[in-house]
Amino acid sequence: MLLEVENLSVWYDKAMLINHLSMGVDTGELVSLVGPNGAGKSTLLRAITGLVSWEREITRRSAHGDIILEGKVTFDRERIDQIPAHEIAKRGLIHCPERRRPFREMTVLDNLMAGAYLLKDRNEIRNNLSKVYQLFPILKDRSNQISGTLSGGEQQMLAIGRALMSKPKLLCIDEPSTGLAPLLRAEVFQKIRGVHQLGITVLLVEQEVGIVFQMATRNYVLSSGRIIAQGPGDQLLQDEVLRKTYLGL
Amino acid sequence: MSLLIDILISGLISGSMLALLAIGFSLIFGVARIVNIAHTAFYMVAAYCIYFVTARLTIHPLWAMGIAVILVTGLGMISYQIFINPIREHHGAVLIATIALAMAFQEVMSLMFTGTFLSVPSLVKGYLIVLGVKVFYQQLITFCVALFAIGALWFFLMRTKLGLAIRSTSQDREVANLMGINESRVALITMGVSVGLAAFTGAMVVPLTVLEPHMWTHPLIMMMAVVVLGGLGSLKGSFLGAYILGFAEALVVFLAPMGAFLKGSVALSIMILVLLIRPEGLFGIAFEEER
Repeated sequence: MLLEVENLSVWYDKAMLINHLSMGVDTGELVSLVGPNGAGKSTLLRAITGLVSWEREITRRSAHGDIILEGKVTFDRERIDQIPAHEIAKRGLIHCPERRRPFREMTVLDNLMAGAYLLKDRNEIRNNLSKVYQLFPILKDRSNQISGTLSGGEQQMLAIGRALMSKPKLLCIDEPSTGLAPLLRAEVFQKIRGVHQLGITVLLVEQEVGIVFQMATRNYVLSSGRIIAQGPGDQLLQDEVLRKTYLGL
Repeated sequence: MSLLIDILISGLISGSMLALLAIGFSLIFGVARIVNIAHTAFYMVAAYCIYFVTARLTIHPLWAMGIAVILVTGLGMISYQIFINPIREHHGAVLIATIALAMAFQEVMSLMFTGTFLSVPSLVKGYLIVLGVKVFYQQLITFCVALFAIGALWFFLMRTKLGLAIRSTSQDREVANLMGINESRVALITMGVSVGLAAFTGAMVVPLTVLEPHMWTHPLIMMMAVVVLGGLGSLKGSFLGAYILGFAEALVVFLAPMGAFLKGSVALSIMILVLLIRPEGLFGIAFEEER
């Protein structure tokens, strides 16, 4: 397993957001994480990529509330639940955050270069940039535009492109289709398929169960911080209770 | 005509000094959300440092400037690590800590050098007469070097990798983490750059002004007004705001009757006006709520 989560629990104050959860992603897979609002999908991603521990550090220092993270996360056979977020990124586990979050006042090109912060070799950066431009031609046209002025769909492309700049081993994408028109959603999913075809392992958090189940090699259904079902899409869809209660289909 | 030149020179010089101060102040606020009240106290320490090295150790002023900038930058980074970093997420506590730091510097300086007015000789003596007005070479040097420093800072921020990391962190430090940027190290470096700029400004200003332990308060108020006018955290705003305030002050001092006594009120009036009419300032950013 490239990524392995064992018995992970996360508390924010007294609320248990992730409840003794175990899951994994294998090299080359496109794994989806679906579930209703508040199931803990984003929290799980944030816990994996180190943002929960980063936040814990901050809240501890500001004496607000209390965050607890327990369990074990391994990436590439190395334990990562104890190391800071920027170190996790260094190991090739990149998180494309919820709500896209481009560096709004910087140009598209600067955003992409920030994504390549970890790379030292200029040629490699240039190569990755041309690959990202190939996948997202719109970013090339807009390269000198301030990213805050891009449309929602373009910002999503930028967020994914930025995450790709450091050539991740595993790319975690959090709710890329939220707030986009249906046509744009289809395009975004098309691009994510493209990313997967480049040989990058993808962990995708989404609400759009319909499309995601067609794309993903494997799926996890999350509810109340626990995995309640897993498997390929068509198999999950046969379960009547699951469909009605958790997937809203 | 000669009045116009006087206003121009005074405005350009105090504008450049304010720009250097305000940009440094905005920089650390942008990256780490630290309101560093001690910012101009570092400027004062640098000025005293130059006095000490030139007048007491009789070393050439140019060397003194280098020594002062390096020492004060180090002092800034150490103060950050010891006093500010542990309470960084607690904005109120940071504010109080930096006020305390500024007071401490003031008291240490008045213990070491007493409260009397001191001065440092100019680097270059002599002047040039432009349309009947004396323009001291020192003033010209100060202005040119300040512009050069602003240019160099711009290059650093816009064209280097560290500059990119600083800009990214000030936009969204959580996402900066995800790009592999060590956000707390960037904050420390930014503190160094910010205090370094304050020290540099102190070094530039020292031959044109008198030293005394309260010399940090007036620039502090001016700098605050600049930052409010330009928009908190906006470097462009700080730059423009500094010249607007520099000229506003020069205009009042030279044109208003008894203008010199009104000097202190200019910054405060502008600050109040901006807060009433346009609280976000010229280039204000509505900071996105960080989770």
